[in-house]
Formats: sequence, structure tokens, C-alpha cells
Amino acid sequence: MAIFTRRRFLAATGVVAGGVTAVYVFRQRAEAVAPTFIFPDNEAAATWVQIRPDGSCMMYFPRMDMGQNANTGLAQIVAEELNLDVGEIDGVLPSTSDVPPFAVTAGSMSLTAFSRPVAVAAATLRENLRQRAAGKLNKPLSEILDDAGGFRTAGGQVVSYRDLANGAGAVIELDESKEIPHLYTFDSSRQKQQVGKSAQPLGMRALVTGAPVYTGDVPMDDVLYGRAVLPPVRNARMATVDTTGVERVKGFVALVEQTEFVGVVCKTPSALDAAMAKIKVTWDLQQPINQQEIDRLVDVDAAMSEGNLEHVLVDEAHRRDVNWAVDLRFDVQVQSHAAQEARVAIARFDDSGDRRKLEIWTGTQDPFAIKRFAAMDTGMAKDDIVVYPQRLGGGFGGREHYEVERDAVRLARAVKRPVKVQWTRADEFMASRSRPASSHRVRIAADEAGNLQDWWHGYVTGHVVLSRERLPDWLLPIARLSEDFGVTKGALSPYRAVHRRIECKDVDLPIDLGVWRSLNCAPAVFARESAMDELAVRQGVHPVDFKVSQMSDDWPRLSNCLQQVRKLSQKHELPAGNGFGRGYACGTYDGRCYVAVSADVHVDQTTQQIKVVHICCAQDVGMAVNPDQLRAQMESNLSWGIGMALMERFEVADNTIQSSNFDNYTVPRMSDMPSVDTLVIDQPDMPPAGAGEVALIAVPAAIANAIRNACGYRALRLPISFADTQQV
Amino acid sequence: MKLTVNGEQRQVAEDWRDETLLTVLREHLGLTGTRFSCGIGQCGACLVHIEGAPVSSCLVPIKDVAGKNVLTIEGIAPQDGSLHPLQQAWLDANAPQCGYCQSGQIMQALALLQRNPEPDDADIDAAMSANLCRCGTYDRIRTSIKSAAVVMKEIS
Repeated sequence: MAIFTRRRFLAATGVVAGGVTAVYVFRQRAEAVAPTFIFPDNEAAATWVQIRPDGSCMMYFPRMDMGQNANTGLAQIVAEELNLDVGEIDGVLPSTSDVPPFAVTAGSMSLTAFSRPVAVAAATLRENLRQRAAGKLNKPLSEILDDAGGFRTAGGQVVSYRDLANGAGAVIELDESKEIPHLYTFDSSRQKQQVGKSAQPLGMRALVTGAPVYTGDVPMDDVLYGRAVLPPVRNARMATVDTTGVERVKGFVALVEQTEFVGVVCKTPSALDAAMAKIKVTWDLQQPINQQEIDRLVDVDAAMSEGNLEHVLVDEAHRRDVNWAVDLRFDVQVQSHAAQEARVAIARFDDSGDRRKLEIWTGTQDPFAIKRFAAMDTGMAKDDIVVYPQRLGGGFGGREHYEVERDAVRLARAVKRPVKVQWTRADEFMASRSRPASSHRVRIAADEAGNLQDWWHGYVTGHVVLSRERLPDWLLPIARLSEDFGVTKGALSPYRAVHRRIECKDVDLPIDLGVWRSLNCAPAVFARESAMDELAVRQGVHPVDFKVSQMSDDWPRLSNCLQQVRKLSQKHELPAGNGFGRGYACGTYDGRCYVAVSADVHVDQTTQQIKVVHICCAQDVGMAVNPDQLRAQMESNLSWGIGMALMERFEVADNTIQSSNFDNYTVPRMSDMPSVDTLVIDQPDMPPAGAGEVALIAVPAAIANAIRNACGYRALRLPISFADTQQV
Repeated sequence: MKLTVNGEQRQVAEDWRDETLLTVLREHLGLTGTRFSCGIGQCGACLVHIEGAPVSSCLVPIKDVAGKNVLTIEGIAPQDGSLHPLQQAWLDANAPQCGYCQSGQIMQALALLQRNPEPDDADIDAAMSANLCRCGTYDRIRTSIKSAAVVMKEIS
């Protein structure tokens, strides 16, 4: 078992000053198969921040950057604690050898889980430095006052971090026996200088100048180009492999055939394309891959007719036979991440020294999982493997696994040269661990005054977190005895009712499934908020008034979001005339992030299109560390919601994945993006929660409800087409 | 064979003459700001200008640009280290998220403003809908193009 010492990590940075650092021992915790669930504590965070010998502040970014800019938020916290400007923090993406393992970047957990340990680390460093300042100035600690970039005394003496670094730098001296220092970030009485400001995300300039930041941009001497054949689904087995003629391709270097693996290495990318075209593989499938099979498996009515569903999440005086005011079935189709970067990994083996070494460059949400899996795959010791994580060109939950990296590692090992594997767009879709299809039955009964009495939501979906390929076969049935938190996410209803049952069943689908932005939250909220809207319409009540009146008292922040978004929407007049409508929806992600969305749509009989013409979003995710970036995440989520509501559908047929590129998997383009109004509801007294996948959850229902308002059609199936609306 | 990239004459080695302009730029000439995403001209991530016209470089055989002028994202800023007004506008709006598509977006916007210095929303939507942004930064791109148009008009 590897033992990580803090000193070792600090030594690697070259700033360990003799005698100042206590040594902490990190033991790798129980090795999960995947992903890395090591949530940060103060000891881990203490390895992330330091003052360099020149007095500058260096921060190892513990989150993978994929556009959410969580590291900038964490750097703002460091800057707040150290009285620096966030622009003075030099952020470095650490390799897996630079710091102890940290958790997969997922689940909108970055600010939630990392903000406090990061604040403790930076505040501890500040107080360590204050101690040094007291010694240097020969004053009592109480007379050493904060100053920008250092300290001062009431008498006007100033000492900077540079002075205190003393040419050796400073690392955090964490003493667990001492009280945690005053955390400026969480002091609501403090006039904050960094936290709560719309700081420009760090590294933004590189993105507008085309500077190298992604894996494919990493310069590599002597590199070759390789790729492996991907299966349509991961439990498929190779039936036949025909590689005739591949060696004759100009630029061919090597054919690599192993158990369930065939790949090619060539001198140039086009030679590789030509070589790959020569390889023909047929597959044995365990399940037929087609839409009918998915529809058969994901059928809530069939499942509910057999009795209780597998997982009963809420069961409160449930009644089966009631006069239902609303009894609707909603179906949601499979979606792919379709991140803009087609994945790349580069692997390089070094056998030249006395120790073998494997280096991997990749954009991944979970660099420490990549390292573990590479060790398992190669039989090498983990200490001999280094992963250099790069910025991701989009993640959205789809980039946690050892896949493109595996291909690069195997090919590089075979040819004894560095190999770069760049997936094609078709590979990206083929390897998609998609958001499963789901099917929901929502039944609501109300009393004569219109108040909810009965709530019954049952649904069937494919697995999300406990998907087939995530765990070994022997572990899967045991793991599945408990609920899949990806499947249950978003299921709890904020609406009060006397009699409630919420239940679900998760099934294996013939395609690979996994974590997609918001997990089950967006589908569940679509079903729930559509049903509530329908009930409001049938009762002749404004849907916002109705939802607010029926919401349990436990959800004041959600109720507030809904009322705020209504106000926001009223700033923008809904165009007069036929076919325009406005809809609302709200939801919570994990009970820590709240959102409401209004959508204005035009169901245009002339162009035969549904167009979202304006959209508003009010979001409360606790303390707003960086309001501009909260808005950016809302905007991104709104775009995803439009895609989910009106466009995206992962197609399978004839035992193959049909979606292969952006011409047959439609995602929103600029002409699909309406004008946007966003509202950040700041809660300075509350810890920050994540925003990366929140606003999305309310968008499909807001659009569906707007369509109902526009033309009377109640959408029961996503994505919604114009043709659907003609069924009124 | 030779071509001119960002005003500089570059030589393409024998082994690279069956490649696309995109792979030559990225893998042979080290200009990695132009990016691969779809490979079929559907997304605009690899957009460059050839003789002033916007083109998806993933579709262009390198042989077809022999002797021609190619402009990439690395070549649009002035030599003095400052940014092109479009790049500055992008920064001012914090437009990028993951950033992967943004080189192509900026190159498309440059082509738009060169042929239409005062585009309205419809012009922008029409021109920019050739470029995908999966993160959905479209609203900020619109804002950036409008503010860059003002600056570029003042300069000219």
C-alpha cells in the first residue's frame, strides 16, 4: 500500500524549508473500483497552497477544469484568506505525483466539499506567516495586522509575504491540536474583497488566444498516432476480426492485437484513418440493441402493474384507488454528453532508467482513477505511473473512466514509443455512457379546495451510477441491493400531500449508461413539474400560485426561486398572437441547490417549429462566491435544457449505435438560444453549493408547460417535436 | 510544398502531404489552437481562414492549400502582445467555458465582421450557427461580437 507523506509532495515542489513542516501521513483509503471518492480534509488541502521562495502564492488546483471554473472560486477563497487579489494566485493543475489523491470532479460537489478545507488551509498559512512576521518585527502577535499581500503594524511597519518567504517559501504548518483560525470566507460580518466578486476565471486568456491547454495540444517528441476499435457496447465480445491489408497502408507502424483488443499505430493521423478503415470487427451481443428493446424495458405501466417497484423512496399512507385529478405518463429518451472535445490521451513508457515509468496525459474528471486502472491494466506499481491531467473540452459526467487512456497505454507499450490516441466523433458516440431513458407515471389527487391529497410517482429507468460497466460482475448484484443514487436523484417531491408514494425500478439497458449532467434529476423534475402544471391548468389557477400554495414549508428557498423567476419573466412581454406561451418549473438538486425557470415559446404554425424565444432563471446555491460564473453555469444549463426538451435523442437500431456525429445528433446552436435573464439569489450566511448541473433540471418542464400554455398540447415525451403538438 | 500561415512561410514535409490542413497545423506545424471535434465540417471548431474566407480545416486536403495564405487563431492578435478586439471582447464577457470551440467561434466572428461590420442579432445567429458550443455560451458570444464590432469600427 502506498504511503503518501506530505513532506514528499512538498519536497517535489522544491520549497520545503528545513524544520518548518510537520509530517503527515496519508494512507490510501480502501480502493474503490471507481471512481475516486476521497473527499478533502484539512490535511489534504494543506498540500494545495504555498508561498513560493519569491513570495508568490501557488495553488495546486484540486478540481478538473472543464468550463465550470470551480478552481477560480476556490482561488478566490484562498485570496480572501491571504489578503491577495485572485489574479495573484498562480494555479497549477497537479499531476498525480504532486498531491495526495482527491475526489473525482463530479456531482456539483466542488464548492460544497472543497470550499471549507481550502479556506482552512489558506487561513492556516496566513496565521503561520503572521507568526513569522511577529518574529521578524519583534512585536507581539496581536500587533501584526492584515495588509494586502502581507502584514503591517499600527506604527506603519510593513512586511510582505515576499519578505517572509525569505528566499525559501512557506508551506502550511498544520497543527491539529490548535483551533482552526478565523475563516474570513465564512465570516458574514466581513466586508469581503474576493469572495462574492465576479472575478475573471483564471486561464481565460489562453482560451481566446488558442494557447495549448488540452491533451491534444501537448507537444510530444517522437510521437505516433494510434487508435483501437471500440465496441458498440462494452459487454459485446469480438466475434471476428479481419485486418487484411492493414500492413500495406502507407505510414503503417504496428498492428496490436490482444484479448478483446485490436488497434493500430501509424506515423500520421490520415495514415491511421486509412489503416483503421481496413479493420473489420463483428461483435457478439448479449442483448439486441434497438429502440424497441429500450422501450420494452423502460415501461413504467408494465412495471407498476406487477406491484410495488423495487425501491420505495417515500411511502406515507399511500392509497391506490383514488379519483386521480391527473394521471399522466411521461417518457424521456436517451441522451449523450456530446462534449466538444473528442477525447485524446497520450501515453509514454520509459524503460531506460533503473525503474520503469509510465506517463499519461489526459483530460479526465478522475485522474487518480486513471492511475489506479493503468496500474491494474499494466501490472505496474502505482508509484511508477504519473497522470498529467489537462483541461477538458467538456465533461458533463462522461469522462471518469479509463478508456481512451487504456488504448494509448496499450499501444504505446506495444510500440515502445509515445502514442497519441485521438478518438473520432463516431468513437465519442460509440463510447457514450448515456443518460438512460426513463418512463414516469405521475398520479395526483386533490380535495375540493384544490389542495393535494395524494401523490404517486413511479418510474423505471436504466441504471446511472451502478451501471453494468462501472463495477465487476461479482460486485454488481450486491451493490444493486442498495439504491443507485443517480437513479433516485431528484425523485423527492417538494409538494405536500397526505398520502404519498414515490417508487422506482432500475434496469439494464442494451446500451452503456452512466452519469449525465444532473443524473436522474432532470427527467424526474420534468415529470413532476409537468404534472403539477397540468393540475394547475385544469383547476384554472396560475401555475406559480398553485405550486407555491402546495409546497411544503420545508422548501422556502425553492418557493422563493419560483416567485422570483415569475417576476423576472414579467420584465419581458410575451408576444401577442397565437402560438406564444409561457411556462414555469422549479426543482432542487440534492436539496442544496434550488432553481426555477420560466420559458417563453412560440409554437409556429408557419415554420412548423417550436422555438424558445426567451428564458429566465432564478437560482439559489447558497453563498455566491463568483456571481458571474454562477450566471455562466445557468446559461450553459439553459442551453442543455433546450436540447433535452426539443432536440437530443441518442439513436440505436440494427444492433448498432446510429448517432455518430453532430449531423445526426442535434444539439442547440446559436439560433436555438433565446435571450436570457438570470438572477443569482445570494445567501452570504450559507456555505456555497454547486451550480454545474442545477438549472438544467427545470428547463424541459418549463418549455413543456409553455407549449401547453401556447397551444394546449401537453408534452408526454421528450424530445418534443412540432408534429407532437398537432395531436391536440 | 509550402504554404503561408499567419504571414510566415511554412514547409510541409513529405510524410505529411496526404494529411488535412487541420492535422498539419496541429501535429506538424505545432499550431494547436485550431481544434478537432467532428471531422465532417459540422461544428466549426477547426475553422481557419484560407485567403480570407472561413473554412473548416478538417475538410481541406493540405495539397489544396499549397502556396495559399492561411490565418489561424494564433495569427489574429497584433505583434505587440495585445489582443485582437474580438479576443478582448471575448475576455471582457468571460465568454468561454470549457473553451474548446472558442478558437473557431472567434475565427467565424472575424469573418462575419469583415464582410458585415454592423451585424444585427439575426445576422449573428445566421453566421454563427455554423459553430457549435456544447457549453452553450451563445448569449455571451453574441454580446462579444457586438462589442467587438463597435471597437473595430472605431479603429477603422
